[in-house]
Amino acid sequence: MKLRVEVWRQADPTDRGHFETHEVDGLEPHLSVLEMLDALNEQLIDSGREPVAFESDCREGICGACGVTVDGQVHGPEDNLPSCHQRLINLDDGASVRIEPLRSAGFPVVRDLIVDRSGLDDLIRAGGYVSINAGTAPDADSLPVGEQQAEKALDFAACIGCGACVAACPNGSAHLFTGAKLAHLSMLPMASTERQRRAHSMVRAAEELFGPCSYYGECARACPAEINLNAIAAFNHERMLAGLKRRL
Amino acid sequence: MPAHTRADKAATAVVQVGPPPVTNKRPQRNHLIPSWVLKVTMAVTGTLWAAFIAIHLFGNLKVFQGAQAYNHYAHWLREAFYPLLPKLSVLWAMRVVLGLALLAHICAAAMIWWRGREARGPHRAKIRGARAWGAWLMPLTGILIGCFIVIHVLDLTLGLGIQSAGFAAPISDESFAYENLVASFRRPAMACFYSLVMLLLAIHVAKGFTTMASDLGAMGRRWRATLALIGGLLAVAILLGNGAIPILVLTGVLS
Ligand code: HEM
Ligand code: SF4
Ligand code: FES
Repeated sequence: MKLRVEVWRQADPTDRGHFETHEVDGLEPHLSVLEMLDALNEQLIDSGREPVAFESDCREGICGACGVTVDGQVHGPEDNLPSCHQRLINLDDGASVRIEPLRSAGFPVVRDLIVDRSGLDDLIRAGGYVSINAGTAPDADSLPVGEQQAEKALDFAACIGCGACVAACPNGSAHLFTGAKLAHLSMLPMASTERQRRAHSMVRAAEELFGPCSYYGECARACPAEINLNAIAAFNHERMLAGLKRRL
Repeated sequence: MPAHTRADKAATAVVQVGPPPVTNKRPQRNHLIPSWVLKVTMAVTGTLWAAFIAIHLFGNLKVFQGAQAYNHYAHWLREAFYPLLPKLSVLWAMRVVLGLALLAHICAAAMIWWRGREARGPHRAKIRGARAWGAWLMPLTGILIGCFIVIHVLDLTLGLGIQSAGFAAPISDESFAYENLVASFRRPAMACFYSLVMLLLAIHVAKGFTTMASDLGAMGRRWRATLALIGGLLAVAILLGNGAIPILVLTGVLS
């Protein structure tokens, strides 16, 4: 199949950026959006031009490194799939397709399709961790976690940190990401000891770097880890609880 | 292309040495009032108004019992709990609380909207599906509801500027709410406006309750479903109850 690819080119963060159009032929419908970009890059390299910069790593939907906007849709045309799993079969042969970086003021473009997602790292730094005094390992059964509780926490822990939720949000909010961490960590015995402090600092950081939530729900449609929308309720839930209880 | 050609090209690629790469700083804002506080304020004030609207709707249904029942109810509002409380005190307490709540709701809405636009930046996000369109509509339906509240008070409470020709203000022992209402809705433009706003209000309330569930931190599936159901039922009641009255007056069923 053949595609007319309009791809975003931007030399550096201060460049205004523009779309560049290329014809890419000989594509297979089962190829991913990223493999289409690989084919485009081979074409560009062959003609002695600068390849398009984009991020990827595992290419099997587990690392969260990839992420481009395809025709205005974060990651690609199918809901709940990362760019590395978005197949060209959803596009028409001969069609035009517009590839942009993830868009949000909190994700400034570094180059071409690569954006700076370190705001998410800042959120993790603000409290997305567990402080454990390392020492002798405790007995395996000394802190039992119920199976259901563990499964629920795992569902929230499935986030791969791709940033699609922020890019899909009309408010540029990181509530799904932040809420998923807050919910996951508040459900486990060791992590929940820092629950209040974590809610205070992560919510503050999320509000400084990203937007508020108006419940558009676009984040959960884009999220490749299928994080549930009630992660968003966890954001306010944890913050209100922390406000009621004395600070740790 | 044979593999070695590409490898050769990569080997000859220029390694750039120089100053560290230019960076575009991520925006960082310190808000005076945290957004989560604004959202909880919106949820509480929105719920307060929803409760008022539910009570008001219940009162409005007395229109179907005829002029006397309706006017009696309107009059009772003016001296509720008299002589326990002074006349008009309940009415004024409600006016003050609802007025302040609306002011807080509108200010918070404007601030949240603005913060959202800033945090998103110049590239608009795609809006897909009912949930997202509902959220997108909130400011629009909200502003129209705000205009409606002003018009409604001028038309049927104060009788200023846009009231019907036969408007009669309440006197010390009688209200003419029914007559005023019928006279107002005999004007097709006014009747259509009222019914249209009831549709917008129904949308605002239905969507508002799902947002509110989230803002008040309701994580359980049952809680969220219950709140969404209450909002949905209230929305339908507003549409069928309030929304029908202007149409029934216009078609002569109520007179
Ligand atoms: C001038 C009038 C009004 C304006 C401008 C307005 C505006 C808004 C906006 C923009 C939102 C969405 C906020 C967001 O999520 O970003 C909202 C939410 C809401 N509105 Fe209103 N509104 C108005 C009147 C009302 C009334 C009369 C009611 C009562 C029925 C109401 C009930 C709600 C509820 C329950 C919410 C959800 C609260 C939340 O965000 O947690 N609003 N309003
Ligand atoms: S919550 Fe989902 S969309 Fe957001 S960063 Fe995690 S995996 Fe990506
Ligand atoms: S490349 Fe790892 S998730 Fe897409």
